[in-house]
Amino acid sequence: MTASPATGLGVTAARIENGTKIFGEGEAAVRALDDVTVAFDRGQFTAIMGPSGSGKSTLLHCLAGLDDLTEGHVFIGDTELGTLNDRDLTMLRRSRVGFVFQAFNLIPTLSAEENILLPLSIAGQKPDGEWFRQVVTTIGVDDRLTHRPSELSGGQQQRVAAARALVSRPDIVFADEPSGNLDSTSGAELLDFMRSAVREFGQTIVMVTHDPVAASYADRIVFLDDGAIVHEIFNPTPETVLDEMKKLGS
Amino acid sequence: MVRAAIKGVLAHKVRLGLTALAIVLGVSLVSGTFIFTDTINSQFNTLLDDIFSGIDVSVRKTQADFSGFEEPFAAGVLDDVVAVEGVQYAEGGVSSITAQILGKDGSPIGGNGPPTLGFSWGETAALNPLKIKEGNGRAPAAPGEVGIDANTVSHNDFALGDLVTVVTGAGPEQFELVGIMSFGDSDSLLGATLTAFELDEARRLFGYMDEFTSISIIADEGVSGDELTTRIEAALPAGLEAVTGETQQNEQADQINEGLSFISIGLLAFAGVAIFVGGFIIQNTFRIIVAQRTRELALMRAVGATARQVTWLVVLEAVLVGVFASVVGIAFGFGMALAIRGLMNAVGFGLPAASLLLLPRTIVVGLLVGVVLTVASAVLPARRASRVPPVAAMREDLLTPKRKSFRTRTIWGVAITSLGVIGLLIGLFGGIDNAIALVGAGAAVMFIGVSILAPLAAQPVADLIGRPVARLYGVSGTLARENTKRQPRRTASTASALMIGVALVAFFTIFAASTKASVEETIFELFPADLTVQSTSQTDPELPAPFSPAFTAEMRELDELGAVSALQFGRVEIEGATQLIGAIEPQTIGEVFALEPVGDALIALDAANSMLVSTARLEDEGWVVGDAIDVEFSATGVVPITIAGAFEANDFANFYFSSQTYEDNFTVLGDGVVFANAAEGVTLAAAQQAVDGIAEPYGNVKVQTKSEIVGEAEDQIDLALTLFNGLLFFAVMIAVLGITNTLALSIYERTREIGLLRAVGMVRRQVRRMVRWEAVIIALFGAILGVAIGIFFGWAVIQALKDQGLGEFAIPYGQVFIALVLAGVAGVIAAIWPARKAARLNILEAIGYE
Repeated sequence: MTASPATGLGVTAARIENGTKIFGEGEAAVRALDDVTVAFDRGQFTAIMGPSGSGKSTLLHCLAGLDDLTEGHVFIGDTELGTLNDRDLTMLRRSRVGFVFQAFNLIPTLSAEENILLPLSIAGQKPDGEWFRQVVTTIGVDDRLTHRPSELSGGQQQRVAAARALVSRPDIVFADEPSGNLDSTSGAELLDFMRSAVREFGQTIVMVTHDPVAASYADRIVFLDDGAIVHEIFNPTPETVLDEMKKLGS
Repeated sequence: MVRAAIKGVLAHKVRLGLTALAIVLGVSLVSGTFIFTDTINSQFNTLLDDIFSGIDVSVRKTQADFSGFEEPFAAGVLDDVVAVEGVQYAEGGVSSITAQILGKDGSPIGGNGPPTLGFSWGETAALNPLKIKEGNGRAPAAPGEVGIDANTVSHNDFALGDLVTVVTGAGPEQFELVGIMSFGDSDSLLGATLTAFELDEARRLFGYMDEFTSISIIADEGVSGDELTTRIEAALPAGLEAVTGETQQNEQADQINEGLSFISIGLLAFAGVAIFVGGFIIQNTFRIIVAQRTRELALMRAVGATARQVTWLVVLEAVLVGVFASVVGIAFGFGMALAIRGLMNAVGFGLPAASLLLLPRTIVVGLLVGVVLTVASAVLPARRASRVPPVAAMREDLLTPKRKSFRTRTIWGVAITSLGVIGLLIGLFGGIDNAIALVGAGAAVMFIGVSILAPLAAQPVADLIGRPVARLYGVSGTLARENTKRQPRRTASTASALMIGVALVAFFTIFAASTKASVEETIFELFPADLTVQSTSQTDPELPAPFSPAFTAEMRELDELGAVSALQFGRVEIEGATQLIGAIEPQTIGEVFALEPVGDALIALDAANSMLVSTARLEDEGWVVGDAIDVEFSATGVVPITIAGAFEANDFANFYFSSQTYEDNFTVLGDGVVFANAAEGVTLAAAQQAVDGIAEPYGNVKVQTKSEIVGEAEDQIDLALTLFNGLLFFAVMIAVLGITNTLALSIYERTREIGLLRAVGMVRRQVRRMVRWEAVIIALFGAILGVAIGIFFGWAVIQALKDQGLGEFAIPYGQVFIALVLAGVAGVIAAIWPARKAARLNILEAIGYE
């Protein structure tokens, strides 16, 4: 593990070096990421913020190996994603990366338990029973494990998705607006759980959001605008986030 | 609305394209059949025109419509004809249907279907349909000379000057090939082999000394054919008739038509199955597309479209798809027609190549079939579309329409299935007219009924089939199983399409196996003879082809043989109905054939003009032994025949004459079957070898033991089975297309799900496996339903045919198992494209997909 170039603290779970992503060609070309360099420390909860079209989702997708960079390098731990073929990338996502999306996180034909264990079943691995218990008890879905997604509330569905992201003990979890579709109570429950996963289990989480309240659960916020990192703050509160956003917006 | 429909079709090009393919296949089979038969028909009409254009009037024996060949009459009639006022020229000739040419290796040429025709050479070109091709020799003019049709010559590497063996009633003889002939302008006559001899030579060979089989007449200028016919008719002795060339031409055209309609009805039946299967697929596709477009349709309602307009929108889309697919199908029909012709030629019909004929009727029928099928199949989905409430455009929870209760479904399903079963059983056991049509309709209704019930079974069956899959393939297998269970209607409807083809394949297979199980017993029981001799030809589907009696005479001389008994066959008319009859030698028949005569019936048969009648027929007609029945023969007219006795066995004919009575009343063409036993102390092998020895020069007789006959019968059953299953291939192929279509549509629906699976670590191979196994489970579900129905059909038909010696009901488990495995393989093939499509989905786009 290399030391984080960005903070100088701890070790990085993932980083992007001089990352540039261009969509389209010629006149219509859009520079979604413009020479971005950023690292994410292990055991840290990072939020990525920015206005619509700032490139925050693209950054997340490229970090997670769902999309590739036009230029630059992405590392999960010491593995450079650009050198991997589709199969190896998939293997990496399966074993070292967890995902929580804004919506449609669960396979409707599988029960909550089967959904949580999905990455392990795909890999043909046996789950760690104790860890599984701990995760489902913490997120509070232990009594709904046999239910199908359609029988769960939106909040429960997102928490099941979070449990799925954690159950294989990935190096890093990427969350794309995980509370975006939830009411404030359910959202708070989910974010509480994500924060406790970082605090108690030492999980690394990178979350994209445009909600200052959600972002305030993070240890660190990276602000993105026009494909470039424009600012970052540590240990935010909703107020400091809002202040920062106002400043950037002006 | 039309513009919206066109846009709708264009927006779902790929999805509708697969549906269209199902219609294209069905329509191409129908139009191909029409194009093929129309083309052949027109070719023969041209040919017949050519042949009969020169003949004004013909004289022939008054044709009994059951005779099947031209009967001879006394040659002196020619003088009467020539004497008639207005006859410019008249010429007599003879013809025969038993002139078998042998190839260079001594094997018979043709004869399996198309006849082996022999003619006397007519001196007057205008009256002779046969022509010597330019630069290909001359007409046969002396004994020992023969002319042969160009098709036969070229296919068998004959050349002018060759010595060619022809077997006739007079036995095998060698002739010098002096001329290569055409029939009209055609090198061949529907694949028949044609030989021509000088008149007296022909008479000797065919056994028609001082006889003609026809007289052709040219009228004086200014005398019409009709008028001359009336005049000649008046001059003819009883039993002969005069007909115009035109009449004769029409008769021949009708005959060709009849032969072709036999082929076209068979092909159209299988096309019908393919179209029926296509209907299932179209309905399924439209239903899925409507479900997927609920939001769009709701929006149309919200902005003011009426329910009726929404229905029309979907129906209009169906019309567009139907028209497009039908047009393509008709175009493909040309290829299909060429394929049919190729197949027919491969089995020995020398069908001439000619440009294919597309009649307006073909276009109309093709369009009608395609459009009606598509629209009829889309009506139910269209009505469902109209029930989408406008508010569904805004509310997620209304997007999936409420399912009808399973109770309603069960009631309808059971009612329709029962209706089908009742129709089927009445057809089989009711003893009514048009039984086959009722059986077919019953089967079709039953298929529909079962397909309505199938969704009820879809989940449990998919669960059962999917269990080992889930165990073997982990999460891919589990998801495959769950995906088939999630839309039981869709799964069932897709499987039902395959069910139909599989049911028919299973039925034919079971029927064939059951027939085979009975055939050995039947043959051994009915034919106790050591050896059976028959012609290699099969020119008449109902009667054994006659072979030269000269051969039977040689057999009787053999020391290696004990009893030798010949049978002849033919048709007569009794009480207005055509009957197949056999002729036997009363003294020897008992030793070689299980006729089971009642009492001394065989001895009584020795009396002149007497016959034996089966006990079953005696009972039906209310006749008793001793009654004299009027029997009409084509050679001798109506003759009263006394019932000399009765017999029990009822395998081939209900009436048997003695050979003597047969000779008195028939134009003897040859023996149909000769049974023989080995002489005492001679082994079966030695006896067979001896008969084989004398058979060789004849070329066209085969000498078989009982086991060999059984083997041959089994081979024929297998051949028929292969042919039927080959024709069902289209129906199965359409069903496989249906699986592909359903999967493609399902995958389209599950785009986000697949994206998610890929994101959390599913490799492409696992995605492909998931789709593949879903297809296999659907296919196996359909195959299991199909096999179950096929077994029921088989059982019912065998029960119905019990009286006809089909006692055994045998399920060939091995073949049924292979059918199931093949269905699984079909599933794998059906899944190739959708699986690849699913595996290649771009993860990010898939996850973001709305």
